[in-house]
Amino acid sequence: MSLRRFFRRAAWDRERAEEIDAHLAHMADDLRARGAASSEAGRRARLRFGNPAIVREEIYQMNSIPIVETLVRDVRYALRVLRRSPGFTLTAVLTIAVAIGANAAVFSLVDAVLLRPLPYPHPERLVIPEVRYVTPQGSGTQSAIDGRTWEAITRHVTSAEAAVYSDWRSGANLTSGGQATHVNQARVGAGYFRVLGVPPAFGREFTPDEDTVGGPNAVILSHGLWQRAFGGDPGVLDTTILVRGEGHRVVGIMPEGFRATSDVDLWTPMRASATGQGGGTNYQALLRLAPGATESQVEAELAAAWDSQGRPSSEGVTLTWAVVPLQQSLTEGTRDTLVTMWAAVGLVFVIACVNLAGLLLARARTRAKEIATRMALGSGRRAVVRQLLVESLVLAAIGCALGVGLGVVLLELLQELAGDRYALWQNVTIDWRAAALSVAISACAALAFGLLPALHATRVDVQEGLREGGSRGASASSGGWARRALVVSEVALGVVLLVGAGLLTRTFVALQRLDPGFDLSNVVTASASLEDSRYQTAERINALFEQSLERIRATPGVEAAAVSLGLPYERILNLGFRPLDGEAVAGIAAGRNFITNMTYVSDGYFDALRIPVRAGRGILETDRAGATPVVVVNEAFQRTYYPEQGVLARRIAVSGGEREVVGIVGDVQQGQPGWGDGSGPIRTTPIVYVPASQTPAGTMNLVHTWFSPTWIVRAAGSVPSIDRALSSAVASVDPQLPLASVRGIDEVRASASAAERFMMVLATLLAGAAMLLAAMGIHGLIASAVTERTREIGIRMALGSTAMQAVRTVTIPGIALTVAGLVIGVVLARASTKYIESLLWGVEAADAATYALVAALLFAVAIVSSLMPALRILRLDPARTLRAS
Amino acid sequence: MSPRKKKGAEARGEMMQGTLDMLVLQTLVLGPAHGYTIAETIERRSDAVLQVEQGSLYPALHRLEDRGWIASFWGTSENNRRARYYRLTPAGRRQLHHESSRWAQLVSAIGRVMAIGDNT
Repeated sequence: MSLRRFFRRAAWDRERAEEIDAHLAHMADDLRARGAASSEAGRRARLRFGNPAIVREEIYQMNSIPIVETLVRDVRYALRVLRRSPGFTLTAVLTIAVAIGANAAVFSLVDAVLLRPLPYPHPERLVIPEVRYVTPQGSGTQSAIDGRTWEAITRHVTSAEAAVYSDWRSGANLTSGGQATHVNQARVGAGYFRVLGVPPAFGREFTPDEDTVGGPNAVILSHGLWQRAFGGDPGVLDTTILVRGEGHRVVGIMPEGFRATSDVDLWTPMRASATGQGGGTNYQALLRLAPGATESQVEAELAAAWDSQGRPSSEGVTLTWAVVPLQQSLTEGTRDTLVTMWAAVGLVFVIACVNLAGLLLARARTRAKEIATRMALGSGRRAVVRQLLVESLVLAAIGCALGVGLGVVLLELLQELAGDRYALWQNVTIDWRAAALSVAISACAALAFGLLPALHATRVDVQEGLREGGSRGASASSGGWARRALVVSEVALGVVLLVGAGLLTRTFVALQRLDPGFDLSNVVTASASLEDSRYQTAERINALFEQSLERIRATPGVEAAAVSLGLPYERILNLGFRPLDGEAVAGIAAGRNFITNMTYVSDGYFDALRIPVRAGRGILETDRAGATPVVVVNEAFQRTYYPEQGVLARRIAVSGGEREVVGIVGDVQQGQPGWGDGSGPIRTTPIVYVPASQTPAGTMNLVHTWFSPTWIVRAAGSVPSIDRALSSAVASVDPQLPLASVRGIDEVRASASAAERFMMVLATLLAGAAMLLAAMGIHGLIASAVTERTREIGIRMALGSTAMQAVRTVTIPGIALTVAGLVIGVVLARASTKYIESLLWGVEAADAATYALVAALLFAVAIVSSLMPALRILRLDPARTLRAS
Repeated sequence: MSPRKKKGAEARGEMMQGTLDMLVLQTLVLGPAHGYTIAETIERRSDAVLQVEQGSLYPALHRLEDRGWIASFWGTSENNRRARYYRLTPAGRRQLHHESSRWAQLVSAIGRVMAIGDNT
C-alpha cells in the first residue's frame, strides 16, 4: 500500500463512512419506493448491507502497513506513558543526553585526530624517519634531522620519495596594499606537496631552483590568506608580494581547507643546507614509500645514509633508524590525553547505562500492576515486551537528540580550552560519523538496558500482580538484588573518575603554584617578526629596540619596558656554550660544549619583569657593542654547571664569543619543550641572558627565523590604554612592522598549562557527571525502597517505632552499598591511574589526599541522596498509610 | 485485528475477488455509477442469481481504485443525495478486456470438459 494512503487512512475512513451512509440511504429510498414502511426500510437496508464497521475496518487495514501501524501505536502509547511520569522521563533523558553528549564531543576529537586517516592520498604510505637512540643515560627517539643528514637521505633513500620541511611555525610580515600584517609561515622544501599528495589549487609548488640558498624568492599562499588579503583574486598568481620585507613571487595557492600540521597562512621554501639552520637538527623529512617498497627497505637506506656521513660514534650509544606513520608522528603529543579522555567518557557512558538499567528496572516494578492488567486482558508477552522496548527507544531518541546538541556545546568548549592543539590538519566538528555513532549507541543501550527489565517485568504472575496492588509484582527480591549491584558498580566507577579528575586537578594546581620567579601583574607583551630584509644588521635591530623602548618608557603610566627574544612560560632557544675557565670541576671541563637555553634581552629586562638579581648586576645600557662582552645567568645555570665553585666572574663562550658572567638572577618558569632538567610542562631551566646590543647579526638573523622578539611593558597599575601605547610606539619607529597579538603575561602563562587545564576541566566535568549519576542511582534505590515499604513502615510506626528508626532502616542499605562501591572503586582506581601517570606533575598517582577527599565526597553524596527520599517517611501518617492499603 | 477475522476476509476474497472485480468493471462500462447502483445492477442483470453482499463491494472498489482501474468523485445521485461515483479508467478498460477474454476462455474450457462428461 502506498505511504500516502497510509498517512491519510483516517481521512479516508471518514469518507468511506459517508459513502456507506449514502449507500444505505439509497437502498432505503429504493425499499420505500417499493412500498416498505419508513422505519422498516432502514433496518432492511442495514441487514442487506452487512456490518459497515467490518467493511470499514477491512478497507482501513488495506491502507495500513501493519508493522508501522503497531509501531506508531506503541510510540504514541509510550509518549503518553512517559508524559505521565515526568520525573522518570526527565531523569532518563538527561542521563542519556549526558552520556551521548560527552561521547559525541570527545569522539569527534578522537576521530579527527586518531581514527580518521589523514586527508591525503594513500596516507598509509607517508612516513617520518626517526632515530631511536639508547645511551647509558637513557633512551629516546628523535625525528628532527640536520642538514647533513637530509643531504645524505636525498642521496641514499631511493625506495621512497622524500621532502624536507620544518614543523616550526613562525611569524612573518606581509605587506599588501600598503598595509603590513603579521602572518604565520611554515617552510617546506621542493616536492613537499607532491610527496604529501596535495598539489596547489592554482599554480605550482616550489622548484628545486627556488629551494636553494640564494634562489629566487617564492611564496605559496593558503586559501584563507588568499581570500583575506587578496580577495580571492587568481590574478595574484605570478605577481610579486612583499613578504619579510622582500619581494616574493606568488607561485601557488593551496586548496581550501588544506592544512599540513598547523594553521599556516603562507609557505616559503625550506632551502635546506648543511650550514645555518641546517647546522642543527631543525628539519623533518617526509617520506612516501615508493610502490612496492617496504618500510624495512627504507629503514635500511636511512641507516646507510646515516653511516655514509662518517660521524664519530660515542661509547655505549646505539642508534637505530626506523620509520613511523606520519599520523602517529603528528599525534605523538596528543594521543595519550585523547585516549585517556575517551576512556573516561567510556566510564561515564557505562555509569549512565547502569543508571538507566536501574531506572528501567525500578519502573518496570512499579508498573507491574499495569503490565499484569494488560496481560490478564489478553495481551501477549511479546506485545508487552515490545511496548516496553519502544518506550526505552523513545527515551533514547529524545536523549540522543539532546545529547548531540549538548555535544556540540561541549566540543566548542573543549576546542576553546585546547586552542589549536587538536585542529592539526582539519577543523573538528560533530559530523555525521559522530551523529551516527550517537544514534547507534543510544539505540543499542536502549535495547540492551530496556530488554532485561522488560523480560523481567513480563515474567510476572498475573494473579499475584493484581492482588498485591502492584507493589510487589515482579519478584521483588531479585530485582532489588540487581539494582543493588548496579548502585555498587556506579559508585565504584565514580571513584575511578573522581580520583582521575582529582589527580589532574592537583596537577594543574601544582603547576599554578609554581613560583613564577617574577611579578606577573600589569605586564603586557607583543611580538614582531624581525625575519625581515630591513632587519639584517645588528645596528638596525638595536636601533629599533632602543627607539621604540625610549618612546614606550616616555608614555605616562609605563613603569618599565624591555625587549627579549624569549618570554617566561614559553619555549626558548637552545644554544651551546663552552666553559673557558680551567678550574671547572666535576664534569664541567673547560673547552667542552654544553647545551643551555639562551635569550637576548635589552637593558631593563630584569626590572621590567621584576626578576630578582641575586648576585652581581643585570644587563645595563652600557653593555653595548664594543664594550666588554657580558652575560647574566640564572640560578639554575649555576646549580647545573657550577654547583660548588660559583659562576660569577667566570668566562664562558656563548652567542658569538667569550663573555664574562656579571650577574646571577632568580629562576623563572619556562614552558615545554626546551632543554633542561625536569620534564614537566612548566619548569625552571638553565638560562643565559645576553645583551641584545652585544648579539652578533649572524646569531640574530638565524634565531629570528624561528623566534620573534617580544616587547614587554610594565604599567604602574592597571592601565587599559597600555596596549595601544605599545603598538603606537613601535609603529612610530617602523610603521611597516606589524605586531602579533598583544597579550598580558598572564595569558602567556595560561597557555603554557593549556593542556593541563584542558584535561582538568574535561575530567572534572566527566567526574561530576559520574557523581551526579551515582547520586541519582542511590536516590532512586532508596526512593523506591521507601515506596515499596510504605505499608510495612506504616505498620511499624503504628506499633511504636519512631520515624527516625524507620529512616535509619531505609537509608542504611544505601550507605552500605556506597561503602562497598568505595572499596571496589579505590582498588580499581589504584590499578587504572597508572595509565595517566604521564599526565601528572607534582602529584603522585597514589596521592592519599586525593583518595581520601574522593571517598569523603562520595560518602557525603551517598548520605544526602539516601536521606532525601528517606525523609519522606517523616511526613508519613501511619493511619492513612494503613487505610490506603 | 485478530488472526481469525483476517483469515475469513482472505478466504472470501479468494473466492470472490477476480469475478467480482470483473463484474464491477463491466458494470461501469455503461458509465459512472455509485456503489448502490453497481450492486443493484449486478443483481438485476444476473436476474438476482448473483447476490452481492453489498458491504463486500466496498473493499473491492477500494482495491480497484488502488490499482488505478477505476477513479472516483463525489456527485449528486438521481435521488438528490450526495454519493461517490466511480468511473472506468483507460487502464481499467484494458483490464476488463483482458479479464473478459480470460473469462470466456475459462467458460469455454469448462464447457468442453462438461460436454465430454455428458457424452460418456
